[in-house]
Amino acid sequence: MAVHVWSVRSGWLAAGALSCMAVVGSGAAQAEAGASEVAEQGRYLAIAGDCGACHTRPDGGKAFAGGNAMMSPVGVIYATNITSSSTAGIGSYSEPQFARALREGIRRDGTHLYPSMPYTAYAKLSDADVHALYVYFTQSVQAVDEPPPVTRLPFPFNLRASMVIWNMLFLSTARFEPDPRRSAEWNRGAYLGEALGHCGDCHTPRNVLMAEQSRRQFSGTRVGGWYAPNITSDPVSGIGAWTRDELVEYFKTGALHGKAQAAGGMAEVVGNSLQYLTPEDLNALATYLLSVSPIRDQSDSRARDTWGAPVEHEAELRGRPTSAGSEQPEGNALYSGNCASCHQPTGAGTADSRYPALFHNSATGARHADNLIAAILFGVDREVGGSHTLMPRFDATSYVQPLNDTEVVTLANYVLHEFGNPSVQVTSDDVAAARSRGFAKWRVQLVDGLLIFAGVVLVTLGLWRLWRGRSTYP
Amino acid sequence: MSVRRFNNGDADADLVVVGSGVVGALIAEQLAGAQRSVLILEAGPRLDRAQVVENWRNLNFQQRVSSDYQSLYPQSPLATAPLEFPPNGYVLLTGKDGDSFHQGYIRAVGGTTWHWAASCWRHLPVDFRMRANYGVGRDWPISYSDLEPYYCRAEEAMGVSGPNDPAMQSPAERSRPYPNDMIPWAHGDTRVAQIVNPHGYRSVPIPQGRAVRPWKNRPACCGNNNCQPICPIGAMYNAIHTVQAAEAKGVTVLAESVVYAIDTDTNNRVTAVHWYDRNRQSHRATGRAFVIACNALETPRLLLMAANAQNPRGIANRSDQVGRNLMDHSGFHCTFLASEPLWLGRGPAQSSCLVGARDGAFRSEYSANKIILNNISRVGPATQQALKLGLTGTALREEIRRRTIHGVDLSISLEPLPAPQNRLTLSKTRHDGLGLPSPDINYELDDYVHRGYDAAAQQLRHIGDLFNAVEFEVTTSLNANNHMMGSTIMGFDPKDSVVDGDCRTHDHPNLWLPGGGPMPSASVVNSTLTMAALGLRCADSVQRALEHV
Repeated sequence: MAVHVWSVRSGWLAAGALSCMAVVGSGAAQAEAGASEVAEQGRYLAIAGDCGACHTRPDGGKAFAGGNAMMSPVGVIYATNITSSSTAGIGSYSEPQFARALREGIRRDGTHLYPSMPYTAYAKLSDADVHALYVYFTQSVQAVDEPPPVTRLPFPFNLRASMVIWNMLFLSTARFEPDPRRSAEWNRGAYLGEALGHCGDCHTPRNVLMAEQSRRQFSGTRVGGWYAPNITSDPVSGIGAWTRDELVEYFKTGALHGKAQAAGGMAEVVGNSLQYLTPEDLNALATYLLSVSPIRDQSDSRARDTWGAPVEHEAELRGRPTSAGSEQPEGNALYSGNCASCHQPTGAGTADSRYPALFHNSATGARHADNLIAAILFGVDREVGGSHTLMPRFDATSYVQPLNDTEVVTLANYVLHEFGNPSVQVTSDDVAAARSRGFAKWRVQLVDGLLIFAGVVLVTLGLWRLWRGRSTYP
Repeated sequence: MSVRRFNNGDADADLVVVGSGVVGALIAEQLAGAQRSVLILEAGPRLDRAQVVENWRNLNFQQRVSSDYQSLYPQSPLATAPLEFPPNGYVLLTGKDGDSFHQGYIRAVGGTTWHWAASCWRHLPVDFRMRANYGVGRDWPISYSDLEPYYCRAEEAMGVSGPNDPAMQSPAERSRPYPNDMIPWAHGDTRVAQIVNPHGYRSVPIPQGRAVRPWKNRPACCGNNNCQPICPIGAMYNAIHTVQAAEAKGVTVLAESVVYAIDTDTNNRVTAVHWYDRNRQSHRATGRAFVIACNALETPRLLLMAANAQNPRGIANRSDQVGRNLMDHSGFHCTFLASEPLWLGRGPAQSSCLVGARDGAFRSEYSANKIILNNISRVGPATQQALKLGLTGTALREEIRRRTIHGVDLSISLEPLPAPQNRLTLSKTRHDGLGLPSPDINYELDDYVHRGYDAAAQQLRHIGDLFNAVEFEVTTSLNANNHMMGSTIMGFDPKDSVVDGDCRTHDHPNLWLPGGGPMPSASVVNSTLTMAALGLRCADSVQRALEHV
């Protein structure tokens, strides 16, 4: 069994204290305090693991009661109820059953969870943390006896058993192994990033069978309509030029003046999870990330947050006659009418960064314009520290102004050319694709891919096994 | 439920709504939510916010400083709305006070909330009982408490920010808090309140349809100070929000569709409306229920022009009250330079208001008033004044700054009483782009308003003194406030009113005329929230009626 550095910090310490108390006969009250300490630890871990992102409905749903509908082209996947309810939730799970669901994606009844549950990351969790999560969910989380809707996908996507094969190929059941050559802080950060926080889920590219490619860990990939950027320590393609304090500020607030703002899934991660982590944990996570092997994309010539400068073309638009707007407006006019009231005619935003500058901004300097297009189409929605940041969306459902594909292309290319990376060009195909990928919870697309490939694998391996016979297995 | 469309362009729906402004949109959204098929016919075009923003920025200085909030909005050539720069003569104004009735309204999807100030006032309870309490005007057939739940719903639908401290509410009779607490006051609001409140003027926050936090996909107001004529970021409530929510629920909205005729059956139930599309082709929409919510000018105009054999004086007009009792808050302005800088013009266009003279025993003799501390930036007028002084260079810049930060503009609203002679009729000689008769309006104010002006002018002189005002000026001619009311007046008696307390016409059991038209008293506050509340009350009535069809 591996040595669990964090066991000492969390569960085992509490458990040890508990048994000591029992010996000295300190009574039930103290035992309860010990148990609640474990539950409190579990609560914190549940935040760090962002369980609520999927298991609590964002529209005022009861905590961990599930029911979040994840729209997928093959049907709706509903998050499960993981409250302490023994009928609708996981209240009657034993700890080994809970651990199996968490780490192996297998429910108490033996059926496989869809990999929208990030069990490949949670497989690395320490026993102590699994224990604390178990205590928290089964003892502290208020039971909600309402079962969420049942996920019913059509054939062949309803073949949950196909996950057996995929798990054989890609699920490592090894626990997190601390690196003895690294500091305790670094190891804590690695544990947070790789296991609990499952950063790689979004930031690591996947292979054709949709498994994370460890050799390209954190080098960035497309996630639904957004792009989870390279967060390796490379100073050009990644975040290697950021200081540790800057990373911590970004985790804490989701916005870093002159560099980046969290939007899409990252806004949810900051809002639901990162902002609540202790300064020690955030520093650890930053320390770890800044040490991750740099991966350079050779087509990147400079860091994505270093492009652009303030520039103003406002005067070119003035003195024109009023118009009914029947002709296609040029980028300058689209920018002035739709963006400049907040981001300012110069693109400099406001001095307090409440409305960020569009130059020195990851969304406009990146080689992939996905996040610029997605921000225009879906807006930015982030709640941190009791403050709600909302850039309105400009897609067909916009309350401000729905923009068509041509307008988004013209506007995005104007912004890229004037304030961002001018070598990047957006096409109407890019915009149409972003619209169709949409803001859907990114994991759903992963699920689609996984299920399709798992089905193929199932059939292929089944045939192979038939052909080779049982002797294949020693 | 979706609207049935036919190959010839005709349509059929459970509910046909004419007009896509705040009132029509709220009703459409509610009925669509109740699984009814709903068709909205809107005379005007769909608008592009960014284009309107650019049009405003490119409007010439004279029009901007004269508050021309109409010219920047594209119009359909087949659905004219009033223009004043230059006058397009769409509405002919006659009568002693015709010149005080130059109304600005928008004919487009979303209606006039594109360029309102988003002030969301409630009438006072006593405003519903003017005759009973003060012996003037008319009483409503419903009370404040009948409408109160609908005020709450309207505030929720529009995301109103208002003071949750009862001491700052007008009125304080509320069953629910505001959806958002008041928009924080800037220095000018606070300072003016400090100075005038000891003298009974009672400055309170204006409840308004915007918020300083995001609200239901609307961004937070960031103080562009451009509410009128266009919120450039969509933070201000605009019925386009409700239109889009309604469309998401299945409502069909046909823009550039001008309704001009109405069919009735032997029981005088409305069976269909006819509209012209943008190619002047006529179509017919049949339905079970009909709502006409154009505004208090276009609704009576349509009812009159749609006269048919069975209703020769016009639809819903057996009482001969359609088009009569027209009201608008008679307005005037007071401007001065205060001895201390007040820094007005930061934040929303309207922020605080003096309501000390909103009610009192004097209302049996003369009009109440409200005095808005206008919060529109004074840079425009200050520039105009400084240029007149012949200054140049640094001196000009300094003078503009001085006048901007010391400048005060108070906008005063007076309450007219409903009078049958204040009336919209159809022109026999002037026609719009479709050849439909244009509106003629006769408007004459009685001494009730003029005495109210005198009383307000005295109060203003006193307020000016409190600020050691210089260049103190009070306008002597009255101006319009675009709050059209009364022209399809509500009442108990079908002989002297057009609709009942649900805005349902006395003459046609399946026709409702919600909005400003039914309001029997104007109060001194902006009419939109009351119109929206009446719209939601009407929506409940339509919903009940459709259950029995």
